[in-house]
Amino acid sequence: MIISLAKLTILRLLMDDSIEQRIRNVMSAVFQISADEINEDSSSDTITSWDSLKHFNMVMALEEEFNIEFGSEEIADLLDFRRIKLVLLKDLDTGK
Amino acid sequence: MGEDIPKNIRSVKYADILKYNKELGDYLESNFYNIAVFSNITINQIKEICEYSLRTEGINAHVQIGDYNNIVQSSIKFKQSNIIVVFWEASNIINSMPFKIESLDDDQQDAILKKTKQEIDLLLRNLQKTPLILFNKFTTIQFSNFNIRENKYDRLVGQLNQYIENNLTANVRLVDLEKVIATVGVEKSLDFRHFYSSKMLYSVAFFKTYVEYIKPIIMGANGKAKKALIFDCDNTLWKGILGEDGFKNIEMSQETSDGAVFAEIQSIAMSLIKQGVLIGLCSKNNPEDVDEVIKDHPDMQLRDEDFTIIRSNWLDKVSNLKSIAQELNIGLDSMVVVDDSPFEVNLVREALPEITALQVPEELHKYPELLRRNIGLFYNLSVTAEDSKKVEIYKHQKLRESVKQEYHDIEDYFTSLGMKITICQEDESIIQRISQLTQKTNQFNLTTKRYTEGDIRNLNVMDNSKVIAFSVSDKFGDIGVTGVCIIIIDKSKTACIDTFLISCRIIGRNIEFVLMDYLINTLKDNGINSVKAKYIKTSKNSQVRDFYDKCSFVPTTITDLLKEYVLDINDYKPSKINYIEVING
Repeated sequence: MIISLAKLTILRLLMDDSIEQRIRNVMSAVFQISADEINEDSSSDTITSWDSLKHFNMVMALEEEFNIEFGSEEIADLLDFRRIKLVLLKDLDTGK
Repeated sequence: MGEDIPKNIRSVKYADILKYNKELGDYLESNFYNIAVFSNITINQIKEICEYSLRTEGINAHVQIGDYNNIVQSSIKFKQSNIIVVFWEASNIINSMPFKIESLDDDQQDAILKKTKQEIDLLLRNLQKTPLILFNKFTTIQFSNFNIRENKYDRLVGQLNQYIENNLTANVRLVDLEKVIATVGVEKSLDFRHFYSSKMLYSVAFFKTYVEYIKPIIMGANGKAKKALIFDCDNTLWKGILGEDGFKNIEMSQETSDGAVFAEIQSIAMSLIKQGVLIGLCSKNNPEDVDEVIKDHPDMQLRDEDFTIIRSNWLDKVSNLKSIAQELNIGLDSMVVVDDSPFEVNLVREALPEITALQVPEELHKYPELLRRNIGLFYNLSVTAEDSKKVEIYKHQKLRESVKQEYHDIEDYFTSLGMKITICQEDESIIQRISQLTQKTNQFNLTTKRYTEGDIRNLNVMDNSKVIAFSVSDKFGDIGVTGVCIIIIDKSKTACIDTFLISCRIIGRNIEFVLMDYLINTLKDNGINSVKAKYIKTSKNSQVRDFYDKCSFVPTTITDLLKEYVLDINDYKPSKINYIEVING
């Protein structure tokens, strides 16, 4: 998935704080860590409890939280906070 | 806990379930209730959903998932659990089973059937001492719902279901998975995105409904089933207001559309009576008006003999409900109340939060569904002979109370009753009832240990344990099997009283002391030197805190939560009660 820098900036400007916070809350509940510990760089490499099962739990929790359904390729991609945010914004935008 | 945690899991988001579940787990201090789930597919999402749902009810559930696709092996590893749930997915017995089976010849099909039957046998044999097994019925609905033709997969699954139904052991309850899937909808239940890669088949929505479906069984096994259903009258048992519309204009007949709703409500109540649920009335009305309806209204299905208790007066609802609980001798948390007035419902929820209060919906057609949806609250693991006699037994109780008023001296009154205790030991026919008593008795229960039928059977066959139950009768009638003692004897000729309980129906008649006399005498005859006993505190059994002290046991440990005792059998002081006869049955 290639996204131009310009588009990224626009996305960032549009990014609703509350959406970021909601992602953090979901990740915090799934991985059993405090929401404050989750930042832009959090990923399956930095969060030790992030195994394949927790990954599915996170996917299901995010889908329920945002009332969307990820495609299976997207699911494989959701391995860090930044990409989760991007994919979510795209899906919310296209009304998926 | 600071914030209110919702109990209806279908309204709680999965992320919140995960979050609150951890908090609840840290908060609950009671013993673990161990649940193991076995499956040949990936069902791990059930863990937190199930734990959360039970933890909100005060059951400290701890769910473990068996080894993937190794149901028989798991049954050895986890047989010590309190309860086992079996998710045996027919479609995964062999890969692509629903369609591959069409290419198999008869011998190959028979081999699959035979192997699966053998595995079921092995599983049930390994789990014969496990208190409770919830076994999902096999279903083809996930993969065969568009298959119009008669096919081999449907047939094989039918044969498997037939087999488990014919080979059920007493500790197994079948779960109708198709009902759960139908409630959620087939498409919403299934999520194939991770099926081909990870064998995950079911959605979060499915697991929430599944857990809601099996919850009453687990609540029942933990002594948390509701016992009484108390109705308001106007616009709750019938349409209309008796005091304003009058006898002739209230409706509960099948012939009118509104009346038919209330006719169904009364039919539901009647069906609950058959399961041993106590039905009561609590309503602001003139008592003689209500009596007239109960006696003479042609459309009433519930009659005087069906109501265990009636409170029609002008007192406030909260006082009435408290006095109902007292008269029935049950906890407020064993009661469900139905009322059409939002004011009364809120009042009850505020003042008596232990009571489950149901509000009659404004749209009347939703009312029967509300009641049907809550029938599970009264789920009884097993319905016994005592359940169907319940109303009669409570009525006799009322009679006893009125006679009691005539006596100045309580001993004279007891003597007039002509009480008889019949002891029954290792009696196969009452195992169900014994198990039910351990599950339902909260007040006069020294240790509050819950046992299933399977547990009681095991205790009966063990050499070092004795299960003693007894029934009580008096001149008013037979009260049925109403008490249980379980004794464990160790090598040094010491007996431990594992369980000592009597039903609330016979509390307050000194029966417990006569029973203790009998118990000690029997133990003495069997060469026992000393007896150990325990009082384990719960929120409901404070009335028996000093029971063993009264029976001349000597305390060795006294804390707020636990009292331990020992008794040198020669130091026992008999009660000297002579108005209760003990008969060896």
